[in-house]
Amino acid sequence: MTLIDCREAVARMWGYLSQGLAKRDVKELETHLEFCERCCGELEFSRQLRARVAEAGTDQMPMPLRQRINDLLAGDARAGEAK
Amino acid sequence: MEMAATMQGAPRAERRGRDVFADLVAPHLDGLYGYCVRLANRVPDAEDLLQETLVRGLRSHGRLRDADRMRPWLFTIATNVWRDRQRTRGREEAATVSLDDPQAEGDFSLFSTVVTEDPFPYSDELHLDFLRLFHDEDVRAVFGAVSPVYRLPLILTTIHGFSCKEAAAILKVPLGTVLSRLHRGRRQLEAGLWDYAVKNALVKVSDDAD
Repeated sequence: MTLIDCREAVARMWGYLSQGLAKRDVKELETHLEFCERCCGELEFSRQLRARVAEAGTDQMPMPLRQRINDLLAGDARAGEAK
Repeated sequence: MEMAATMQGAPRAERRGRDVFADLVAPHLDGLYGYCVRLANRVPDAEDLLQETLVRGLRSHGRLRDADRMRPWLFTIATNVWRDRQRTRGREEAATVSLDDPQAEGDFSLFSTVVTEDPFPYSDELHLDFLRLFHDEDVRAVFGAVSPVYRLPLILTTIHGFSCKEAAAILKVPLGTVLSRLHRGRRQLEAGLWDYAVKNALVKVSDDAD
C-alpha cells in the first residue's frame, strides 16, 4: 500500500463520499485519515458542504406544472404544448 | 358508453402503457424536476426539459426491462434531452473544455482558506458558521455557476444520492472521469463560495488577502 499525501487525500474525498473509490484507494485514504487531523477536518467539512448543497438544491414542483404533467401522463395530447 | 370510449379514444393497449408509465414515474417526478432545474438553471427551461423527458420516456418505456431501473433511466433521458438542447443552441460543452486544465482552479481549498482568514475569531464551529452565511438562493447561485461538465456529476451524486458508478452510467463517461470531474467541480464550487462571500461582504478579509 502506498502512503498518500494531503493533496491526494483531498482529491479523493468527494469520490469517497459517493462510493466511487476502488477498495485499495479507500484503504489508502482511510490510512491517511488515521494520522492526519487536518484531512479529517476537511472530510467533515465536505460532508457539511454536500448536505448544504443538497438542502438548497432540492426543489418543489410548482402546482400548475404538476397539473400539466398529470394531464400529459393521462394522455391529453394538448398538454405537452400548453404553456 | 364504455364501448364508445374504447373505440374513440386511444387504443386500449396504448392507454394501458400510459397508465403503467404514469404509475412508475410518479415516485420520481419531484426528483426529476429538481434535476431539470439544476441542469437548466432556469425554471421555464426546466419545465420544458421535464415535459420533453416524460414524452420521450412515455414513447420508449416499453424497452425498459427492469422497473427498478426506472429512476436512473429517467435521469439518463433528462441528461440526453438537455445535451441535445445545448447542442442546438450552439452552447456545446466544448465551451467549458478549457477549464479541464488541471490548474484552472489551482489548489484552492475552502477549508484551509476559512482557517487562515479566520472570519469568526470566537467560533468553535468555524466552517459551519461559514456555511450559515449563505441563504439557499446564494448557494443555488454559486452552484449554478459551476461549469456544466462538472456540475452534472455534482448534481447526481451530491443532491440525488447516485453513486459515482451510477452517475458514470447516466452521463456515459468512465468512472475515472466522474471522479476527476467531481473533484474539479467541488473546487469550482468552493472557490465560488469564497468569492461570493467576499464580494457580498459576508466575510471580512484581511487587507493583504487580495
